Amino acid sequence: MRHSRFALAGALTVAGALILSGCSSSPSAGTTDAPVTLTFWGTYGNGGNSAQTTVLENELIPAFEKANPGITVDYVDMPYDGLKQKLTTSAAGGELPDLVRSDIGWVAQFAQLGVFKQLDGTMPGFEDLSKAVYPGTLVTTSWNGHYYGLPLDTNTRVLISNQKALSAAGMTAPPATFDEMRAMASKLSGTGVSAFADSGLNAWNVMPWIWSAGGDITNADFTKSTGYLDSDKSVAGIQLLVDLYKEGAIPNLITGNTGATSTSDGLPSGSYATVLDGPWMKAIWQGQYPDFAPVYSPVPAGAGGSISVVGGESIVVSEATQHADAAYKFVEFTQSEDYQLGMAGTGQMTVKPEFADKQAAIDPSFKTFSTQLETARARLPIPQASQVDTILNTELVPAFTGSVTVKDALTSAAKQIDVLLAAKK
Amino acid sequence: MVVLNERRGAAPAAPRRPAASPDRRRSRRRRGWLTPYLFMLPGVALFGVFILFPIVQALQMSLYDWNILRGAASDFIGLDNYVRAFTDDRFWLSLSNSGIYMVLTVPPQIVLGLAVAMLLRSKAPAQPLFRVLFYLPVVTSWVVVSLLFKYLFADQGLVNFALGDVLHITAGDTSWLSGRWTGLLAICALGVWKGVGWSMMIFLAALQGVPQSLEEAASMDGANWWQRFRVVTLPAIWPAMLFVIVMLVIGGFNVFTSVLLMTAGGPGGQTEVLLTYMYQQAFSNLDFGYGSALAVILTVIVFIISAVQLRVFRDRGES
Repeated sequence: MRHSRFALAGALTVAGALILSGCSSSPSAGTTDAPVTLTFWGTYGNGGNSAQTTVLENELIPAFEKANPGITVDYVDMPYDGLKQKLTTSAAGGELPDLVRSDIGWVAQFAQLGVFKQLDGTMPGFEDLSKAVYPGTLVTTSWNGHYYGLPLDTNTRVLISNQKALSAAGMTAPPATFDEMRAMASKLSGTGVSAFADSGLNAWNVMPWIWSAGGDITNADFTKSTGYLDSDKSVAGIQLLVDLYKEGAIPNLITGNTGATSTSDGLPSGSYATVLDGPWMKAIWQGQYPDFAPVYSPVPAGAGGSISVVGGESIVVSEATQHADAAYKFVEFTQSEDYQLGMAGTGQMTVKPEFADKQAAIDPSFKTFSTQLETARARLPIPQASQVDTILNTELVPAFTGSVTVKDALTSAAKQIDVLLAAKK
Repeated sequence: MVVLNERRGAAPAAPRRPAASPDRRRSRRRRGWLTPYLFMLPGVALFGVFILFPIVQALQMSLYDWNILRGAASDFIGLDNYVRAFTDDRFWLSLSNSGIYMVLTVPPQIVLGLAVAMLLRSKAPAQPLFRVLFYLPVVTSWVVVSLLFKYLFADQGLVNFALGDVLHITAGDTSWLSGRWTGLLAICALGVWKGVGWSMMIFLAALQGVPQSLEEAASMDGANWWQRFRVVTLPAIWPAMLFVIVMLVIGGFNVFTSVLLMTAGGPGGQTEVLLTYMYQQAFSNLDFGYGSALAVILTVIVFIISAVQLRVFRDRGES
């Protein structure tokens, strides 16, 4: 009896010692000699698309690990809708990964909260890397005069047309200007085909029209919206959409009718003649509408030219990382030709103009997009970007349904955005 | 912990010494007084950790400009978040939409639930099948049926087809989900369809308890169907009715998934309800302080309404 009690005590002591030593071994992984594992959260596999995760996990990450012995990268794929929530709860719980592929729209918001690391002045070689990307994409990683990431992949919206609908309007080429858009709409009137369709009134949806009309949402240093969003030029961009909406040439999908035919179905089926959309649609249509041949052309030009909006993702380093130097190496690797063109092969557009030609050789349909990207602009890089979208939607819907003028709607929106801009500092 | 150790040491000794000193007896009585609380401890601990703590935490967060980052400092701003809510047009719009949803879904669920329960009370061969069929919507996922109803009420959906091409009541081109009232109507239709089975189940159980003899006696006295229902059945199931009303009102204010998936609060925030607005503030704008304040306001509203209902209906039930 006494004997076994001693044995039990001995076993417990040994087990305890093992557990304790196991616990204490983890902090030592932070030292320079020990192997480092970087956790990388992303949304490459969104929608069950394995093409991008396959290239990342089987080609790119192994290449990086080979070039950087001692560093392993553990990529964790997240559903797109869940990543922001996951980042939020992980920040609150102190369980952040080392690297994140973040939507460009979240960078300022998480930077303000102190979740993402400032890269200018901390990451070696950041200056040179930042100069090599499209200027419009770099703005999206900025907040309060500093940069919190590097663009990883980019996209923009161009005009995509259905050739049959164009022919029905007697047009040989897609509308290249606001006036041609209006002309096409009047020719299509009564045919049941909408001249243009879009699925909302967020900055993503309306800014191409405002910029192309020569207007803007704020001044250059993002401190004032009044005088810019409600300028005559900005009004002209929205007025085009409102006029077409009132003629019946734009369906109420744009004012938030979730029951209307989506742009991805309406364009190939011929209900909509034109939409603004991104490079990812090609693969979707190939699967669902194999006979449909989309026609790509620049955003119709107004008084300000043809200017579209920048989308995409950035690579960011979390403030919580214990392995910042290793993380910087991976960030640098994402800007390499191998990474950029490897991902271009799966439909992710490069952020570097120097690779545009090689990218066009991989897939010619990227050509219109990369040309558009040269002048494309970023949405407001402020933490309250989602509130700006809410304001635009709330104020613009009544302008479309006719209860207020476009000028009044934009004046009211500008006043509210002024308040957000004043609060951001 | 100290108490537990003391008990473990003392317990085996107690039965062996029947003639305990007065001192010891007093301490045993004290321990006896503790016993029920010790039994309650696990449940209370779980309640405290998973219910009470989050509520207190939300209350605390609502008084701050809350920074979500762990360890980060948050600014105490007192009641600013509450003041902001009361001057926020969108808050009032979403609160009124929640109220409209409650008003439009609770009475139909009670009337239809009770009607179906009355019909299914009689013994019929297919009765279990009907009970299952009526209860099926209750156990199906909100996400699935919300998407289903979104397609039913789409521009080219079944509802427009039925109203236009089959019944010729409308032109069949109603954009249900593009306006505040039509959108709310579609959301309410889903709420009623999904909820009838639940109230039916409660009423069915209550109806089992109505004494057959009373109904028979009423029949003998010449009471017709309606009189029997009003004077015999309804008073007998009154406690169940009270329960159903209170629960449905609470549930009505908590509408969320269907709105998020069917209209996403659109167009232009016109169909936003309080919970979707709270969700947007917290998880889209990352304004957890304001989101928490909205949650606290909703809790207070629901608490007051429930308390008033219980008081009013209990008095009526007694009279």
